[in-house]
Order: sequence, then structure tokens, then C-alpha cells
Amino acid sequence: MTATIHTSVPAGTSPPAPARASGRKRVGLGEKAIPYLLLAPAVVVMLVLLGWPAIQVVGISFRKLDLGELVRGELVWVGLGNYSEVLADPEFWTITVRTVLFTASVVAGTVLAGLFIALLMRHLAGPVRVFVQITLVLAWATPILATTTVFQWIFDQQYGILNKTLVALGLDSFRGYSWFSSGTSTLAVIGILVLWQAVPFVCFTIYAGLLQAPKELYEAAAMDGASPWQTFATVSWPSIRPLVTLVTFLSVIWDFKVFAQVWAIRQGGPDGESTTLPVLLYLRGIADRSFGVASAIAVLMILVLLVLTARYLQLLLRTREGDVS
Amino acid sequence: MKRWTKAVAGAAAIALATAGCAGSGGDSSEQNSGEPRTLTVWLMNGSAPETLTTALNKEFEGANEGVTVKYEVQEWNGIQDKLTTALASQDPPDIIELGNTQAPSFAAEGVLTDLTGDVDSMNGDQWLDSLKSSGEWDGKQFSTPFYAANRSVIYRTDMFQQAGITAPPTSREEWLDAITKLRAKFGSDPQFQALYLPGQNWYTLLSFIYDEGGDIAKADGTEFKATMDSPEAKAGIEFYKQLLEASGTTAPKDNDEQNPEQAGIYGQGKVAMMIALPWELGTAATDNPDIEKNSSAFPIPSKKAGETAPVFQGGSNLAIPVNSKNGDLAKDYLKLLLSDKYQKQLAEAGMVPGASTDLSALDANPVSKAMAEASKNGRAVPATPKWATIEAGQNPLKDMLTAYLMGAKDIDTATKDANAALDAAFTG
Amino acid sequence: MKKTRGQTVALNTAGMLVALLFAFPTYWLLTSAFKPSTDMLTPAYDLIPRSLTLDNFGSAWEQPGFLTHLTNSVIVTVGAVALSLVAGVLAAFPLARLRFRGRKGFLLLVLVAQMAPMEALFIPMFLLMQDAGLLNKLPSLLLVYFAITLPFTVWTLRGFVQGIPYELEEAAMVDGLSRFGAFRKVVLPLLGPGIVATSVFAFITAWNEFLYAFVFMRDKDKQTLPVWLSSFRTVFGTDWGGIMAASVMYSLPALVFFLIVQRKLVSGATAGALKG
Repeated sequence: MTATIHTSVPAGTSPPAPARASGRKRVGLGEKAIPYLLLAPAVVVMLVLLGWPAIQVVGISFRKLDLGELVRGELVWVGLGNYSEVLADPEFWTITVRTVLFTASVVAGTVLAGLFIALLMRHLAGPVRVFVQITLVLAWATPILATTTVFQWIFDQQYGILNKTLVALGLDSFRGYSWFSSGTSTLAVIGILVLWQAVPFVCFTIYAGLLQAPKELYEAAAMDGASPWQTFATVSWPSIRPLVTLVTFLSVIWDFKVFAQVWAIRQGGPDGESTTLPVLLYLRGIADRSFGVASAIAVLMILVLLVLTARYLQLLLRTREGDVS
Repeated sequence: MKRWTKAVAGAAAIALATAGCAGSGGDSSEQNSGEPRTLTVWLMNGSAPETLTTALNKEFEGANEGVTVKYEVQEWNGIQDKLTTALASQDPPDIIELGNTQAPSFAAEGVLTDLTGDVDSMNGDQWLDSLKSSGEWDGKQFSTPFYAANRSVIYRTDMFQQAGITAPPTSREEWLDAITKLRAKFGSDPQFQALYLPGQNWYTLLSFIYDEGGDIAKADGTEFKATMDSPEAKAGIEFYKQLLEASGTTAPKDNDEQNPEQAGIYGQGKVAMMIALPWELGTAATDNPDIEKNSSAFPIPSKKAGETAPVFQGGSNLAIPVNSKNGDLAKDYLKLLLSDKYQKQLAEAGMVPGASTDLSALDANPVSKAMAEASKNGRAVPATPKWATIEAGQNPLKDMLTAYLMGAKDIDTATKDANAALDAAFTG
Repeated sequence: MKKTRGQTVALNTAGMLVALLFAFPTYWLLTSAFKPSTDMLTPAYDLIPRSLTLDNFGSAWEQPGFLTHLTNSVIVTVGAVALSLVAGVLAAFPLARLRFRGRKGFLLLVLVAQMAPMEALFIPMFLLMQDAGLLNKLPSLLLVYFAITLPFTVWTLRGFVQGIPYELEEAAMVDGLSRFGAFRKVVLPLLGPGIVATSVFAFITAWNEFLYAFVFMRDKDKQTLPVWLSSFRTVFGTDWGGIMAASVMYSLPALVFFLIVQRKLVSGATAGALKG
């Protein structure tokens, strides 16, 4: 059993290639079809309900589709007109960089916090653990309208409990302090809000992964006198590594697309300083009812996301089994 | 792999070619009379009171046999998207209510029925000017007025009395003087505010700018050019600052009158004045019922003694989507809604009627009386389709005010930037 | 893992601190729900609310449509989550374990499908639903939520399957089970925690979705809870106490759902104690 521990537990690997040729009967036609049959429901739904509209978005990005054209069912092609309009705006690049930095900070914070809490949860007494889980679920499940309002109240200049507490603690400079006077501090508050509602998913996912590691491995590590760090490195990490990569990737995509919170807090202000790409999409596309421009911005956003996640995609497509371990 | 790519390309081509075939393209075929028809009417929450609409629908159904009115109250939240999809659908509603700042943008897209020929039969000679111009586009009338409301200064009569102010101010000087008196009397209470004025109340700012003779923008044919950097606009902005600083208000400089809700703060009883719409007093009264009997209102004073400042008139218009299948019925419905009988009921409910010059019903309540008085001098925002975008998006006037009031920009820079942003929005 | 008493206390304290930190905004929401509306904005220090009232819950309950909207929300959410899980588990197996042509293409499809902003997709989605004649019918919303939650369900479940050592299936196959049988007998039970995490997230995503629910459903009686919640914001100002109370009522089903399925999290752990 000791041997099993020291050779790194192969959790998260895929069946190795030789298995196919190792004397099993040749894969029959029925078995060959199995992957496709199993995938069929998911593929069909995604192609029809997501793929088709997504292709249309690309198509619409080359058209002028305002309310009039939409109602009359007109097709007005403008080629790259929407794109040049969006890219010609000097603010576009500032906004893109701002969005990337915002995403990176929130994702880093979320994944680290989620990882830490998940690891912590394994060692908590039953009731304490359930209490932690309930607070996480409530943070997750509360509608955004309520959470953005609560955060605005907490950070309110005049009546916010945060300023009141800081003043009560003796930090008088926080009397009437505005947390929203600059784009950076506004985005910091928004970032905390997003993180607060995003950590639960990361945490639960990683925790579930930790639970999947067979108990014997932990027991064996303890018997071998492994330190907490060694246990983590050899037992916990391998079973959660694909999940951590996964949630990071998903977090990048979701945090990049965050709109409701940014809009609700300060509508991209003050003076446009907390405007991110999703806000730009709303301003140029939805508020304007110029769906051609909105689609162009959406395509640009997807391109930026592809660049941000390029490394992950590369790993994914490069390895033979399409695995990331 | 190649086959797959071809298949995708083919699918894409089809998608591009056919995407967006929506709407029935204005096929408002009229059905044979005698067949049951449904008239779908969408009015917004908080517009016409229920008593009015119930009576109206009943009368309309009675006068038109076989017709049922499907009346739905819509929420303002998200209405833009809802209207977009509704108008693009196969069965759009027959009557919609549009905010007067939104109406030009819908008209410019050609999605509303041209009502130019029907103006006279819809009480046209009594139409409120500001709402009428919001409904116009390219020389034609695409939506009718519905109702309007404008702000006045709601104040505490008891506090005024205690501070020795004998009559509501009728000029800027008297106004500032009243503030001084109020602060002298009540200023020892750190929570007291002579006037609650947040930094982004651009509706109030407009009054001051109009009063100076300025405007947001000047019409240049069908285009608009922003005029926020004119001396008149700057003078208006400077008065806003003067008023705000004199009042000792603790309202946030970087937010508007709804965040936090000024009515709630007025309701706490430590505020002597707020520049608000009449219903905001009602909201304050839900928390503090006594406050209503201790409150009244006066129109926003003008620079010139004895006159009232022009006011921004907010309100709604009514329109018939161009794809509506019951255009003729809808017009009849509008004729009824805009008739004196129902317009009177609007006034009784505390709104400035859009199609009636008879404002007498508003005199019953001191607050709506002040509003009615000011409404004679009501103005609308530039009737450009782009204004809808500005309102739904980032309002340069709000940003300008905050930057100036917080000292981030001086008045010339702030107005220059606002001008640039407005011009960009007008042409964008 | 044997811990000293000191370590136990330290860890549990850390846990409580984390919980309290995370609970603070929720605590604020709860107290706001129970505060009279006059106390919402007060200069006084109100970490502990001065007075409590049930009025807000009363007005929230009376806000028209709660039960109808709740029913609609339950139908579309539970339906979408169930479909998503089934399709997701079915798809996770081949994606994590099998090799076949088009696998990378499909993976790419799932990934990119997640990247499109929902606000931009709503026009094509609307046109699609209109052409299918499904507008203003609850099934359209169910399908939309199914589609929205599917990509990450597939992706996350695949991640969980990858986290399970393949040796366990190999051992089962040596014992005579087929590939698929091994998956069913060995992997599925271990997937419990993964299914819980994914289903809770899918539930919450669908439960809280506003834009599509608002735009696709015309009739009032087909609306879902997020739309009901937004009706508290009227042109006359917002009933914040009501919204807070309504939000509490609103999150409760999600919490209940979680409490029901979280027991699976524990049982999934014990199922991990297989022959090593």
C-alpha cells in the first residue's frame, strides 16, 4: 500500500492508449456508436439552442439591425461597419484592458478563497461545516437585485454600516467617505460583490472533488506520517487539479461577462470609469437598440476571451486525449 | 474534417441570409365587422389610475360591439427590451405608452403609425406643447400626448413658519434667504437639511439652465448640437452649486434623487425642502403620515422676481405600433382616452393632462397646484431619437454635475466634456 | 487524519470566521427585511437593528402574483436542471473516458458556447422561439434554461469524472462489467458530490434569470419570480423593505433544494471507501 501512495495516485487520468490493443475484442459497431449516442442529447440542444443563435450573432454583427429593421424584417448589410465603429472609439481599448484586469483580480481572489475554504471545510466539525455551507448557499442564491442593493447600503457614503463602523472605531476620516469616487474603488466594491457570490460555486466544486478522493489514501498518508502539505500535494491536489483548472476557466468566462452588478452599482461611472466591455455592449447595443453593434461587441468579447483562455484551449486540443491533468 | 467545415459554412450561410425575418411587415388587415376582436392596450404602472381605465375600457367595449379590451399594466423595469420584442413579434400590442423622452427614437425607426391626420379628432388643439413635440418626427405626428408631470419645491409649512418665513419664495434671492433663515433656526441639529439636493438631479439643473435662457442643445435642422458650454448653461450650473452649498445638504454628490430615495429622507422629518414630483410626498407620507398636512409646494423660483422658472416636463406619449392589426380600433380608443372626460380624470388623479388645457382639478391639492402652475412653462429634452439612448445609458449631465460639484473638474472642463459626450451621442 | 485538540479548535474557529464574514451581507439583508422602512437609512449606528417588524413580509406576500410566479419558476427551473443533469452525465462519460472522432470539436463547441454574452444572444433566441411558435409558452423558457446550464454542466461533470481514478473502473471491468456498466456501478455513485454542486449551480442560474423570462413571457400569469421581484420597483419609488423580504422568500427554495441534496455530499464521501 505504501507503494501506491508514493507513485502519484493517478486520479484524473484517462484510459491510456495501449489499453485498446491489450487483447480486448475489437470494438464493434455498436460500441463505436455509443459515444455519439450518449452525446446526442447534449449536442442537439447546444447546436440548436446555442449554436444557431450564436452563428446568427456573428451574422448580425455584419448588419445594421436597429429596431426598425428588426420590426420590418429587413436585411441591411454593412460589412465591417459595426466593427470599425466600435474599434475606432479610443475608449474601447481602455475598457478592454480594464475588463481584463478586473476579471483577473476577481478570478484570482475567487479561486484562492474557494480553494482555501474547501480545504478548510474538510476539517470542520459537522455543524460548523453545515453552517459555513448554508452561508455560502445563501450568498449564492440571493437575487442580484437584492445583493447589489445591500452592498450599496453597506458602502453608502452617509448611512453605510461600513463607514459608521470605521468612524466608531476611531477612523474619523471615513465620515462621509465615498467608496465610489473613482473607477478603481468602484470596481473594487463590485469585485467584492461578484467574488462573494462566486466563491460558493468554486468552493463547492472543489470540496466535492476532495470528497471523491478515496478515504483510504488519506488514512494511508496519515499512517505514513505525511505532513499536511505532503498530504495535500499527493492526495488532495491530484483529485482536484482538473477541477481547479476547470473552475478557473469558467470563472474567467463568467467574471468577464459580468454586467448586472457593474450596471446596478454605478452604471459604469463615475464618468465612465467603471465601464467594462459588457457595459459597453449594453450602452452601444441594447440602450441604443442597435443590435448589429451589440453583436459586433459580443463577437469582440468572445475573441478577447479566446485569447485569455488560449493556454487552456491549447492544452485541451493539443493533448491526445484532450485531457488536462 | 473538411466535410464538417463545409457543413458549418453552409449552415452559417443560411443563418446569415435568413436571420432576422421578424414581424409581419405592417399587414394590418382589418377583419370583417361583427367578428370578435381584441384590442391589446399596454399602459405603464403608475400612469392612469385604475378607476379611469376600468371606466374607459367599459365604455369602449360598450360602444364597439364584439370588441374586448385586453388591458395590461406593464412595469417600467426592462420595458425597452419588452417593447422591442413585442413590436417585432407577429402580434404586437395595439396601443403602447412611451416615455416622452423615448418617443422620438421609436418614431425615427418607423415602427409607429403615422397619426398626423388624426390629431384634430383627438383633441389636438388642447395638446400640451412639450408632449406634442416629443411625438413629432420628420414633420409628422407619431405619438399623442398622454400626461405629464414636473417638479416643484415641496416644503414644510411648519418649519417655514417657525423660521419666520411668511410666504413661499418667488425669486432666487428669496429662496436663498429662506434657506439662511431655516439654517439659523434649525441648523444646530446636525441632521437638519434646509434643502435636500443630491448632486445628480439634472431635472432641477435644467430648470436653472432654461431660466438663464440656455438649453441642453440647439436644433440645427434635424440635427442637434449640444450647448452645455454656453454662458447661460454655465450660469445655471453655478446656481445649482450655489444652492447646494448654501443648503448644507448631506445628500451624495455622486448620485441622484432616487439613490437614496429622497422621499424617504424627507419623510424622516429633518428636511425642510425637496425638489420633487407630487407623488413623492405621498411616498414620504407612507412612513410618516403627519408630514402631508405639514407640507405644501411652490414652483421653482425664477431669477426674475415674480416669475416661475421653466421646468423639465416628464411624461408619457401614446402610440400605435405600425404592425398592429387593429389600427382603426386603436385610434378610436385614443380618441376616447384623449377626450375631455378622461383627461379631467387624469387631472383629478394629480397629473398634468396631455390633451386638456383645463388644469382646475389640480388646484385641489397645494402640491399639484404648484406643479400645474409651473407646467405652463414646461419644456422637453431635445426631440432627438438619440435622447432615449442617453437616458438608458450614461447621462453626461449627471457626470458633469458630479465632477464639477466634487471639484474634480472646473466648470469649463466639465461643460466641455459634457458637450463632447452629448454631441457624440447625438451623432453616434 | 488525527488532529490535536488545539488544531481542531483553531480550524473550527477559522471556519466560523469565514462563515461570519460570508454571512454579513446576508445578515444585512435579513435585518433589512425585518426593519421598518423608516429605519432603512438612518445615521444611527444600527449593526443590531433597533426595532423589528413583519410588515415587509406582509407587503411582500401581498404583492400580486407570488404563488403563480413561484409555480412557474419551479416548473422551468426544476425541469431545466433535471434535463441538464441527464444530458450532462450522459455526455460527461464519453468526453472524459472515451476517444472518438469529433471529440475535440465538441469540446470546443461547449467551451465557446459559454463565452457568448446572454444580452447579445437574446435577439436571435427571440427570433428562434418565435419561429418555433413557442413564445409566451413556458416550455420555451425551460429550453432556454436547459441550453444555458448545459455547457457548464457537461464541462463540470466531465471534470469530476476525470477526478475519479480510472483504476476503479478497470478493476470493475476485470471483474466482468462492461465499460458502460463499470461507469454506472463505480463512477456514478462517486459522482454524487459533483452532481450536487452542478445541480445547485444550475438551479440558481435558472432561478435567478430575468431577461429571457421577462421578454419571452408576455402574459402576467406566465412570469417567473425574478420578474415578480422587479415589480417592487415602481415609478413611485421602491419598497426596499418589501424587496428585502421578497428576496428572503425568494432564496428559500434554493436553500431548501440545497439542504435536500447536500446529504448526497456526505453519502458520496462514504461511497468513496471502496476496496482500495
